[in-house]
Amino acid sequence: MYRDVSELSERVSAARAEVEARGETFYPGPSRVHLAAFPPKERWNDWVELDASAWPGRVERRYTLVPTTCFNCESACGLLAYVDRDTLEVRKFEGNPEHPGSRGRNCGKGPATLNQVTDPDRILYPLKRTGERGAGKWERVSWDEALDALAGRIRAALAEGRANEVMYHVGRPGEDGFAERVLAAWGVDGHNSHTNICSSGARVGFNLWVGSDRPSPDFENADVILLISSHLESGHYFNPHAQRIIEGQQRGAKIIVFDTRLSNTATHADHYVAPYPGSEAAINLAIANHLIQNDLYDAEFVRRWWNWREYMMARHGSAEPTFGNFERVLKELYAGYTFEYAASEAGVDPEALRAVADTVAGAGSRLAVHNWRSAASGNLGGWQVARTLYLLCALTGSVATEGGTHPASWNKFSPKPIHSPPGPPQWNELVWPREYPLSYHEMSILLPHLLLEGRGRLDTYFTRVYNPVWTNPDGFSWIDALTDHELVGLHVALTPTWNETAQYADYVLPMGLGGERHDVHSYEQYDGQWIGFRQPVLRAARERLGEEVSDTRAVNPGEVWEENEFWMELSWRIDPNGELGVRQYFESRRRPGEPLTVDEYYGWMFDHSVPGLPEAARAEGLAPLQYMRRYGAFEVRRKVGALYAEEVPASELKDIGTDGRGRVFTRADKPSGPHTVSAPMEPEDAEGRRCVGVLVDGAVRRGFPTPSGRLEFFSTTLDEWGWPELAIPGYIKSHIHPEKLAGDQMVLLPTFRVPVQIHTRSGNSKWLDEIAHTNPLWIHPRDAAERGVVSGDLMRVETAVGHFVLKAWVTEAIRPGVVACSHHMGRWRLHAQGQRQVAASVSLDRSGQEWSMRRTGGGGAYASKDPDTSRIWWADVGVNQNLTFPVHPDPISGMHCWHQPVRVREADPGDRAGDIRVDSSRSREIVREWLALTRPADEVSPDGTRRPRWFARPLRPRPEAYRLGDPDPLEPK
Amino acid sequence: MELLRALGVLAEAPSPKHRRLSDLLGLPGPPEGAAYADLFLMQLPPYASIYVGNEGMLGGEARDRVAGFWEALGHDPPDEPDHLSSLLGLAAALAESERREEDPHSALLLRRSRAALLWEHLLPWLPPFLARVEELGGPFYSRWAALLQEAVRSEVLDVGTLEAAPRHLAGAASLPDPREHGAGAFLAALFAPVRSGLILVRRDLSRAAADLGTGLRAGERTFAMKGLLSEDPGGCLDWLGAEARRSAAEHSVRLEGLGMIRSHWVGRARSAARLLASLTEGARAGVAT
Repeated sequence: MYRDVSELSERVSAARAEVEARGETFYPGPSRVHLAAFPPKERWNDWVELDASAWPGRVERRYTLVPTTCFNCESACGLLAYVDRDTLEVRKFEGNPEHPGSRGRNCGKGPATLNQVTDPDRILYPLKRTGERGAGKWERVSWDEALDALAGRIRAALAEGRANEVMYHVGRPGEDGFAERVLAAWGVDGHNSHTNICSSGARVGFNLWVGSDRPSPDFENADVILLISSHLESGHYFNPHAQRIIEGQQRGAKIIVFDTRLSNTATHADHYVAPYPGSEAAINLAIANHLIQNDLYDAEFVRRWWNWREYMMARHGSAEPTFGNFERVLKELYAGYTFEYAASEAGVDPEALRAVADTVAGAGSRLAVHNWRSAASGNLGGWQVARTLYLLCALTGSVATEGGTHPASWNKFSPKPIHSPPGPPQWNELVWPREYPLSYHEMSILLPHLLLEGRGRLDTYFTRVYNPVWTNPDGFSWIDALTDHELVGLHVALTPTWNETAQYADYVLPMGLGGERHDVHSYEQYDGQWIGFRQPVLRAARERLGEEVSDTRAVNPGEVWEENEFWMELSWRIDPNGELGVRQYFESRRRPGEPLTVDEYYGWMFDHSVPGLPEAARAEGLAPLQYMRRYGAFEVRRKVGALYAEEVPASELKDIGTDGRGRVFTRADKPSGPHTVSAPMEPEDAEGRRCVGVLVDGAVRRGFPTPSGRLEFFSTTLDEWGWPELAIPGYIKSHIHPEKLAGDQMVLLPTFRVPVQIHTRSGNSKWLDEIAHTNPLWIHPRDAAERGVVSGDLMRVETAVGHFVLKAWVTEAIRPGVVACSHHMGRWRLHAQGQRQVAASVSLDRSGQEWSMRRTGGGGAYASKDPDTSRIWWADVGVNQNLTFPVHPDPISGMHCWHQPVRVREADPGDRAGDIRVDSSRSREIVREWLALTRPADEVSPDGTRRPRWFARPLRPRPEAYRLGDPDPLEPK
Repeated sequence: MELLRALGVLAEAPSPKHRRLSDLLGLPGPPEGAAYADLFLMQLPPYASIYVGNEGMLGGEARDRVAGFWEALGHDPPDEPDHLSSLLGLAAALAESERREEDPHSALLLRRSRAALLWEHLLPWLPPFLARVEELGGPFYSRWAALLQEAVRSEVLDVGTLEAAPRHLAGAASLPDPREHGAGAFLAALFAPVRSGLILVRRDLSRAAADLGTGLRAGERTFAMKGLLSEDPGGCLDWLGAEARRSAAEHSVRLEGLGMIRSHWVGRARSAARLLASLTEGARAGVAT
């Protein structure tokens, strides 16, 4: 026997050596050991466990477990719905261990999806307004009636050349590309997003460097993690990132956090700096300067991959453009950013910054950074915070390295759909006004102002799980525009639950929650690519049990629908005969002339567009769609790594040519397949060759998707589009810089989240509402003492356009001179219907442009089909502070600069928590002041276009639409 | 020995990539997810701490001892230091290092490390565990267990014998008499293999219920066992006694040549059999009166 075993072992060794000699991996890979913390997937179809709610009784429940993804924040973590096989109800949602991003873990918002499904206040049927807009009078209508009404209007708008009057305005999409393709099929440039109240600032900063608008840090393998965010409790991709940050820390990574507020993330930091808001870019530059002055950066990486030559030729033309000369210039460029200067801007100890810089210097190429909202979204010039943060990665070479920071687009996978309509043929200036050629997303914060100033009108306006009246700044201007029938012909709110904006709609159409809709999505949560599949879990459960379901309404509560089927049906009705060219994109390929179904749509996608999925499915005897219905996610690729450094294979190099920047063009066809990286700005050279890569030290490499194909220290885009003084990373003093404040003003930080809420989307979750339902004013004890207030006292916070009233929370967790208030709470309703768990009843009065909101009742217990609503013990539901903020669009990124200069004092007698007063004429003046900071495309465009072509747009119109024409005719109101 | 690593990998959740290994080793067919889930997630999780810890559960001091061993060798313990796959991988890695080591003193040290790993952290539980896998594992995992048993035996021949009692076993508390310490303490110890000498899995309880003609209550093993004991105390104790006798006989054969390890398991199973016989007698007398 001994000899047999020994021989067998030799055989394994030989096989391993042979496989590894081919550069392949012999063993299946790490992390296949796991505890049985989840029901094993082999038993998902029939899983038995005791009913916890029946305790101490022991009641067995038989489940079929169906995966889906969470629809609350943008992380889209995997969920497993426990569908009771006997009653066909969802009894709970837990984590899906097969999901590569969330790996079975969830934050509180995932399981609370169950509350949203069973919420007694949810909207179950299509509703049509019967009284005035906002009067709270509704009647139930059929889907047919609603669809026909919408289709008729949209058909007329398209046929009459009014495509720009159709607009779709989305909150967090939670899906990749479906809605954009619907609009493209209609030929409508009406995609509007929430992004410039969220992340436009950071996106511009990252994009300018690397041609990808988000960072994808490899936290788990980092040596140093630098966060300008509160990532561990509420970051972008909170749960997937937080678990990896903690794994990184357990491995020994050092965590650095810059946050004016002592967040839960800050409490886990090795270095915590609480800077004066808006000074973060100065700190980043001081760290960069330390690396540069002490030669602690990766000079070889900089030499190979920065576009320093372009910079030298543009700015130091008299000097020889050598790397040595560049290094000498670089040493001078940031010499003024000493620790002492940054510390004086930030109001912190310079030695603390030096310690941070030393830690960053020790990261080698394993520096993982993130900034998303926070400072980038709070300040004028906030985009430079992200840009200067990425400068540290670019200096240390921590770009797409293990433990470094990757371009998001390399860690995301977008499968091709069955139909891909071309972009719309025209440009919509209501969403992309010419003042903002470089804005990273649609200027949604300006929409009511542009409408009120007569720069356009909307025939049909969809708000899709979006609540701008409450969420956007200056909500009263939104109400002003939304109640004017001349400006907004028809407003349709697509939403699972009541919100403040839906109160002003003409139709409210109920859409499904996380377990009630189909979507596919992918997000950069680690160095890999995956897709997640959201599905109506009761539909999948019934199909497993042998039923056929062809319409998701048949399984959802009431007549709640899902958007995929809704858009397909609406599009079909817009163009029933195919005359408008719309219908072709919603037709079946299997059955020409018949409507496409969701099964065919996703079946085609999973069959044809996801590498490796058909094989993985086949190994289990499943079709790809069945595989996704069973597991809910698929990992396309792990360890993507440094795509930029890949050599372009000789097969792609045919009759090549180069330009002055070293970009290489080829006549070889582009190989099919996902995520081939090349510089996209000029896809062809003068001879019609496509850009294939960049020449680095004699080799053609893929490079970065930037105009130069390199990391852009020097942005030719900013240089050419009117902002030459900002062409390299720098520091812009914020609109709330101390120099710009009066002596009695403070700064209000209104941007932070709490871990268990997500804007207004989660207010229908009783478990979450019990944990977090109010938003007091964080105020430092010194500032509180000056005002003679203690925790619980009512305060008035006066902004430039009005004031709001709320309770004080005296805490050392905020810097002196700064106050903070989470933006989650302060929900309100004008009428009986509405979400009641965290919404106050209010009265709204208007006199000219003077608005006043008075609280008439707080939250509290009420009777409903859910006995828990009679147990609601909280009455204080906070304040909707955003109503009192004027719009502050950053002149470059278009980001709304959230921080507010305020005066804070004790409330007046008679003030009630939640009261609000606003002068919206003053709001309009302030918008004009900020608009005056812009450099419009008409004045600065170097090539007669509206926007650099290489800047992304969610829905990209055809090239001819980029040409600047005359402004749309003004129709003053 | 590479074979140990390969067999360890087969104790992990199977994927299509495991086919190559199973083909190479001549095992019957690729491992199937359902068989893996039933065996290693539901019946016999392959973690040392379950079989050599006083609690009979994952983690605890037993896992700390294993993690301490990794540290003593100068390694960061992996996430699951006492998973069979981790331990077999370590055994293979030590053997490789020894083979490559040119300095005889260092090579000797590595050989002693291999012996310590084998005698302290694998042999104290692997043979009785693999016996149950052979019994319950279906075609693939039964054959896998037999092969691993062979591989471990050859490893014993290669590294020699350690005479000291393994710390896991030396620290094992005894099986308490429920008449003195209460039923809770007795049941907890009954399901801690290192204390009772018995590896009782869920499927055993189903078998007990079928043999006794009683129902089996849903829930974890202690709860289900309480149900069986309350329905038919004499019959259930007698059934357990028979299991203990069977285990003692099995250990006696399967652990041949393992010295103190064999003595421990055989001794514990025989003590359990004696205690259960006495309890059966008491229960039946109680019923009779």
